Amino acid sequence: MTPVLRVEELHHTYLRGTPFEAVSLRGVDMEVHQGEIVSIIGPTGSGKSTLIQHFNGLIRPQKGKVFVLGQDLRDPDLDIKGLRRQVGMIFQTPEQQLFEQYVGDDVAFGPRNFGLGRPEVRQRVKKAMETVGLGFEEFKDRMTFSLSGGEMRKVAIAGVLALEPRILIFDEPTCGLDPATASELLSKIRELRDEEEVTIILVSHDMESVAQLADRIYVILQGQSILEGTPRQIFSQAGLLRGYGLDAPQVTQVMHGLRGRGAPVRVDLLSVSEAEEEIVRCFDLAERPASQCHDRL
Amino acid sequence: MTDYSAFRHLTIGQYLPYGSMVHRLDPRAKIVMFSLLVAAVTFANSYTASVILLVVLLGVVRLSRTPLRFALQGLRPALPWIAVFALMQLLFYRNPYGPKACSTIWNWGFIDITTCSIRQIGLMILRLLEFMILISLLTLTTRTTELTHGLERLLSPLKRLRFPAHELALVFAIALRFAPTLAGELERIMKAQASRGADFGEGGRLGFIQRTRNLLPLLVPLFISALRRAEDLALAMEARGYTGGRGRTSYLQLRALPRDYLALALVGAFCVAILFSTLDVLDGFIFSAVSAWAREVFFHIVH
Repeated sequence: MTPVLRVEELHHTYLRGTPFEAVSLRGVDMEVHQGEIVSIIGPTGSGKSTLIQHFNGLIRPQKGKVFVLGQDLRDPDLDIKGLRRQVGMIFQTPEQQLFEQYVGDDVAFGPRNFGLGRPEVRQRVKKAMETVGLGFEEFKDRMTFSLSGGEMRKVAIAGVLALEPRILIFDEPTCGLDPATASELLSKIRELRDEEEVTIILVSHDMESVAQLADRIYVILQGQSILEGTPRQIFSQAGLLRGYGLDAPQVTQVMHGLRGRGAPVRVDLLSVSEAEEEIVRCFDLAERPASQCHDRL
Repeated sequence: MTDYSAFRHLTIGQYLPYGSMVHRLDPRAKIVMFSLLVAAVTFANSYTASVILLVVLLGVVRLSRTPLRFALQGLRPALPWIAVFALMQLLFYRNPYGPKACSTIWNWGFIDITTCSIRQIGLMILRLLEFMILISLLTLTTRTTELTHGLERLLSPLKRLRFPAHELALVFAIALRFAPTLAGELERIMKAQASRGADFGEGGRLGFIQRTRNLLPLLVPLFISALRRAEDLALAMEARGYTGGRGRTSYLQLRALPRDYLALALVGAFCVAILFSTLDVLDGFIFSAVSAWAREVFFHIVH
């Protein structure tokens, strides 16, 4: 199966040819397949944002290749607007891009730009708003700037979903959200993939959400893709990650800690329930009454 | 439009930390020297003086270790204007020195192209070039904090006349400080709206209205964020006890050193010399070469 997105040996330098030159990417390779959730992790300044901006043509490849949905991004005659309709990009704190007075109009901005007819626009806006959990009738005529921060973020995300893209790119989607809203958003992202087969690319610093959501992970360090694998493969190398300025999810770190103290537990575990099972198994806790543990404390 | 890099177009006024002699001069001295040189460039009305000024300025650029390419960067966007001005001079310049001073190269109706208009164009181009170098020199070698402190200090004698020197310097400093921030913000918003299929700079038959409407998705978020930043900044300043300029001291203590006085004296003497001497030894030579060349060109155009 050909990948929907392929990056080969991608390089990028900001302000090329000036004294402010800053090398951002120095050789990134990656592949994303239809219907996958792929996460890109890396410390601040590693080039993640630069990389994803290549995916919908906001930045053109300086050196190296980028193919998205079978189109070569190096091609100067590429129909970039057509590509952007299929590759949705949700930037960090997207609520800062809202500008229309009414929620419904802001969500409709994208579909209108692509010249869709009124009934089509209305139907897409309705669907997008309901996907993010904003009732269409209730919210469409609300004033955009009277909403709460979390609601505004949902409006902004709906604005991109209304394009009905085949690939969706999220840059730190949960950053600054309260835990309940954040986990609601993450489960929406998973639903989009499960129900609509949207391919998801997720850039995040939050390892818990990456571990929960991603099928595969790419680790980017100083502009290079250095590791690739499933969350289990990546996070079982906690020591290596720490050296890069990254962390494994907390529960995985606990397992690494236990292993370090001599307990023969598995370390490739990502969720609390998996870890609990493993600890019970390893320490034979099921055999002992719980009171014994308390006595020893 | 595929290049959204706003910073690329915001290089005028960026400090280049090369740490040269020119960088280390007292900002007050630099501002005064800048003003003197601007005056000299403005009033120098001979080729000889202009060329000497240009050579001296290029020497200072060299001394500051700034790449010449950077010092001249502001020139490119100004080129169309220079062309327009040059054309105006060419067509409408009326020679104030009488018919003896210059000879006609080409005459057609009210259009009278003389050697004097050619001379004037040459001077204008030199002058613009020198202004560009001067402005670049000041901003490329002086940090904005230094500039604003220097300006405040220079203006402070006017405080007695209730002139708001401190406030003015603060406004200047904040504006300069936030220009790159807002440029970055603009770039971000442009990218976000472009991802939603927005077009900028295109418009159909009603081009102007359409183009202005197309800017709304950029301007509204940019203004909101600028206002929010202003509010945050005001709060942060008040939280740290800012109450205005009265009795306020500065961590940046400007101390003029002998070298500053020396530089000032040299530049001052140079400017006075340029302004008050009638330097035209080379003019006859340059002038005749230029007008001979211009004649040649026109001859080719007309025939």
